[in-house]
Amino acid sequence: MINLFEIARRLSESEVEFVIVGGVAIRGHGGNYVTEDLDICYSRTNENLKRIASVLGPLKPRPRDLPDGLPFVFDWTTLQHGTNFTFETTMGDVDLLGEVKGVGNYDDLVPQSLRIDFDGYSAYLLSIPALIIAKRAAGRPKDEAGLKVLQALLESESDEE
Amino acid sequence: MEIMSRTPEEKLLNPRPGSKIAEARDYGIDLTMLAENLRYTPAERIRRNDQAANSMRRFEEAVRNAKTANRLKAR
Repeated sequence: MINLFEIARRLSESEVEFVIVGGVAIRGHGGNYVTEDLDICYSRTNENLKRIASVLGPLKPRPRDLPDGLPFVFDWTTLQHGTNFTFETTMGDVDLLGEVKGVGNYDDLVPQSLRIDFDGYSAYLLSIPALIIAKRAAGRPKDEAGLKVLQALLESESDEE
Repeated sequence: MEIMSRTPEEKLLNPRPGSKIAEARDYGIDLTMLAENLRYTPAERIRRNDQAANSMRRFEEAVRNAKTANRLKAR
């Protein structure tokens, strides 16, 4: 059962330093995109890696590209040995990004994000202008529709017409 | 004379010609769905995403099962 909302809640309650990016961020701003994975950009400090591991550990994370049957050990040191990870978990897929192309790392993203109240917890959501920059920098044809949605939402929020 | 500014929802439902919103509509984006989403809080939008993703998975499973059943029947 996919429950990306709950994963984000647990990360927030454990004081993980993260910014929601990608499809969930677009959805949070009002997009109609349906996504099955939670993409977050996270702080790479050891303390933060430990907090992420303590939240995701019980969700039995496993790299999506790892063939079935191969053993995988997940702990905070696993996160020290890479920057970007694509995990499947018991609550849905989670992508951990050390950096977002065109926008930067966690410290760069925070000033370009909004602190949003999610009914009982709060988390950073990457702003629409920053999401547009990230989508453009990624340059993937599959992001074209998402870009159109973001530009329309940005214009709808603008005071000028 | 004061000109009333339009709400985001109004702008999405009646885009000005040449605007980015009109461009999105012409591209094929369903603006009524965007306008509908703006009525929800960010938390509700993400919960609705989860519900939609779970529903899609159930549809995919149903289609997969139906195809398997049809293949078995055809043997």
